[in-house]
This record gives sequence, structure tokens and C-alpha cells, in this order.
Amino acid sequence: MSRQDQPTTKSRRGFVNWLLGTSAGAFAVSALYPVVRFVVPPLEAESATSSVTLPFTPAEIGPNEGKPFRFGNRPGLLVRTSSGDLRAFSAECTHLSCTVQYRTDESRIWCACHNGFFDLNGTNVQGPPPRPLDAYDVNVRGDQIVVSVKA
Amino acid sequence: MNWNVTAAIVIVALVVGGSQDLLAQGSSDMCIECHRALDSEPLAGPVEHFEADIHAAAGFGCVDCHGGDASIAGPGGMDPALGFLGAPRGEEVIVVCGRCHSDGEFMRQFNPSLRVDQVAEYWTSRHGQRLAATGDTAVATCSDCHAPHGIRPASDPSSSVYPPTVASTCGRCHDDAARMGAFDIPVDQHEKYERSVHREAMVDGGDISAPTCNDCHGNHGAAPPGLSWVGNVCGQCHAVMADHFDESRHAQTFAALGMPGCATCHGNHEILEAGDSLLGLGEGAICTTCHSDSDMGGAAAMAMRAGIDSLISEIDAATTVLHEAEQAGMEVSAAQADLTDANSALIMGRAAVHSFSPDAVAEALEPGYEIATASLETGESALQDLRVRRLGLIASVAIILMFILALVLKIRQIESGPADSPGRA
Repeated sequence: MSRQDQPTTKSRRGFVNWLLGTSAGAFAVSALYPVVRFVVPPLEAESATSSVTLPFTPAEIGPNEGKPFRFGNRPGLLVRTSSGDLRAFSAECTHLSCTVQYRTDESRIWCACHNGFFDLNGTNVQGPPPRPLDAYDVNVRGDQIVVSVKA
Repeated sequence: MNWNVTAAIVIVALVVGGSQDLLAQGSSDMCIECHRALDSEPLAGPVEHFEADIHAAAGFGCVDCHGGDASIAGPGGMDPALGFLGAPRGEEVIVVCGRCHSDGEFMRQFNPSLRVDQVAEYWTSRHGQRLAATGDTAVATCSDCHAPHGIRPASDPSSSVYPPTVASTCGRCHDDAARMGAFDIPVDQHEKYERSVHREAMVDGGDISAPTCNDCHGNHGAAPPGLSWVGNVCGQCHAVMADHFDESRHAQTFAALGMPGCATCHGNHEILEAGDSLLGLGEGAICTTCHSDSDMGGAAAMAMRAGIDSLISEIDAATTVLHEAEQAGMEVSAAQADLTDANSALIMGRAAVHSFSPDAVAEALEPGYEIATASLETGESALQDLRVRRLGLIASVAIILMFILALVLKIRQIESGPADSPGRA
């Protein structure tokens, strides 16, 4: 090997080492990034629930009956009307967010806090609630009841 | 009077010069044809306004209220002998409107669900009583609230009696100090209502079922609510509070002192949002009007307020911890859903304040404390779990990094091995 070749070989090896070094660094950063993101979570919570499968079957809710359920971190209310329809609503009263319940004696949805009533379409019909309950879509798939946010 | 003379001249001119032409064109309502051509707002305006009137849509015309004969052009059609009334005033307005609106059989043809007791109610109102007693035509009659010639149903946003417009309609007279001075009636009701929580719900919140003047005073039977029945009026919407109040000691005390139920603490026209600060003996507390810390009422107010404040702080603490856990990706949705029931207990406790019984308030709040405590524990447990997971992750990452470092050092040692080890060839 002549003396003239040495600088060229050295610079080629340096370049390869630099390339390997930066690749290793990039690999390390990409491996550690998720770890850091787990340890320091984002300020925003996960996106809201858009659909839930209820923990009971259609056979478990009879006509003129209401059953509470959990829609993500909010309360929901499933109602089966006397004619057999299933309807689901947010169980949060539109007045001051108390949890509403189904009244079999009145066949209406009732808020105990201020005696507000909603009909079986969720429409506010008596008392202070200023607007109807938020309604959800209900789909029955075999033995499952799937409640989802209205499209 | 001047424009009346001018109008008469114009009408005569029309009769002489143009009415034959109008009749020849086959017009069926000479009132409209002549008045439309007049250059005077008081005489021509009603024709324009009436086009959008609910009565025009139902097929009624000028003569149904004003009398006369619409087929005869000019003053001939306005002969008192033909029942022509001119512009009805005072009691005439009530009679004219009541002719149809008090006749159930007649009204059923147009709107079967419309009430037909407006005139009967009107005679019970302050307006009606004064009209009946003194014949004073300055008091409001039908056409003062229901814009004459432009009457629309209360459900129509352009109606003078559409709920968000009612306060302005009443205010046309009741805001006028000169007009109200004669009756010794204050004129600040509308201004106060504009600051109230009811107006806020109605106008800002868009809830047209929120109360305005007629919901508390009555519409056709408008009068100030009597002292003893203010609670019944407020109880139409605030039923739970009214029930608590009726069973409370204050119901009897206020009645004995001649104080109105709800309005004693909440006011009447300027009803502000009833925050917790109204309760207790602190700044802004209404209880201090009658009570102090040296009487039982003051102690009860303080106890109720302390119970509510305590639950609020427990709910806030649980909400903060659960929110923190949720942000960190922990599953706490069940506890968050449960916490809404603690809020229900808080709202019911606030309603129970109207019983003025610390025991009743404590009983209503009790389930809230249990739920808030359980939710807080769930949240703290989730955060503890999160800390354990983070520590575990940091430890395992540290071990892996140390292993890599050791591996790198070992490789270097092996690579530099032959130079240092004379034993190897």
C-alpha cells in the first residue's frame, strides 16, 4: 500500500463509521421515544368512546323497562318501550347533569333532582330540563346490544 | 285630526274618481283597495301589515273586526248603520275579539286546541279590572300586546308574543315612567329581568320554555302573584324546591310575617343564579338578612353550607385524580361514570336546602360522599399502579442500556485483544 492511499482509506472508514454511528443513534432515539412518551403522557385524554357493547342481552330487558349502562365514562340509559323498541340515551339530565332513570309507573324518563321528565324520544316534557336527552343509536346483533354515537 | 280630514278628502276623491274603476276590476274588498292607495301610514299601513296576519291567512277581512260593507267603495261602506265601528277602543276591542275567540264551537273550525277563555281571564287581570271599573282606555287590551293587523301565533318568532319578545312587548308600556306614573307602578321590572337567570336561559341559552313576564303573572289574566301563592308559581318549574319549602318551618314563618315564599331570598324580576354563596353566613349569604352565628338558624345555615362545600371538594379531588389517571392512559372510566352520581347527590342536597333542615341536607349528600371517596381511592390506586409501571419500565430500560454498554465494551476488548495478548498468534 502506498503512502498516497492512506488518507483516502482513512476518510472512507471515517465516513462508514459516521454512518453507522448516526444510524445507531437514530435507532436508539426511535426505541427510547415511546418509552419517554409512556413515562410523560400527553395532556389530552384518549378520544371519547363512540360505541359500546352492553353487558346484557336483549332478552334481559323487557317491555316498559329501563336499564342503566356505562357509555365510556358517562352514564347511559337503555329503554325498551311497551311496543318492544330499544332506545338508548345519555343518562345525564340536560338541566344540571344528574343521572336520570326510567319510571315504569309513568313510562317516562325521570330526573329525581328537580322532578324533570323526558318522553321516550328523550324530549324534555316537564320540569326544568331545557333540551332533550342526547340519543344514541341502538343495534342488536344476535345476543349483543351495541350502542353507538349517532352518525 | 288633520290626517283624518285629509284621509276623508282622499277617500271621497277615490270614491268619485276611481272606485268605479276598482269595482270594474272585480275587486271583492274595497277596504283594502282604497286604503292601499292612501298616502298615509295610519290608513295604508294596516293593509300591508294584515297580509301577514294569521286572520288574513284564515280568510278573514277588515269588516270582520271593523264592521261595515267591503263591497261598497267609499264612505258608504263605512256607515255605522252597516255596523261600522272604525278603530275599536277599550272595551270594544275585547268585545270584537271575544266575538270569535270566546266561541268554542266557532274557534274549533280553525284551531281545535286553542283556548277560548281569554276574555274571561282578561276581566280578572289588572288591565281588565281597571277597564271595567273606570272605562280607562289607557289600559292594555288585546291589540296592545297582539300587534293589531299583524297578529301571529306565539310560536312565530316574528310575533309580538313570541316568548323572547314578550318582555319587550310588556315593556312598551311598563318601561314608560310617564305612562306608569299615573298608576304608581315601578318601571324597572324589564331592566331587572334582563339581568336575571331566566332571561339568560331564554335569550342566551335559547330555551324558549324559560319563564318571561306571562309565565309568572299570567298572560290574559296578568296580575302580580299574591304573597301566598308565589311558591305555587315558582313551583311550576322548581317543583322539588317548592315541596321542600312547603314542608319547612320557613313556610309558616314567612306567611306569618307577610313575606313571599321564594321571592324573599331569590327576589322576583332580577332572579340571579342561586350559587352556594347565598347559603350560610359569609359574604353574599342571604341567610344573614335574618340570622347570625348566635342563633340556631345561623348554625343550621353554616352546617348545610359546610356539608355542601365538603362534598364539592371531595368531588373535585376525585375528579382531578381520575382525570390525571385517564390522561396517563389508565382505565378509570367506571369510576368517572360513578362520580356523576355523586354530582346527583350534590344537586339533591342543594335542593334539600329549601327544607332548611341540616339533617335532610346531610341525608341527601351522604351517597355523594361514599361515591366520591370510592372514586378517589380508585383514582389513587390507578396512579399508584401507574407509578409502579413507570418505575418498572425505567428499571428494565436501564438494565438493557447497561447490558448494551457492557456488550460494546466487551466487543472493544475482544477487538483490541490480539495486540495485548502475546499468547495468540
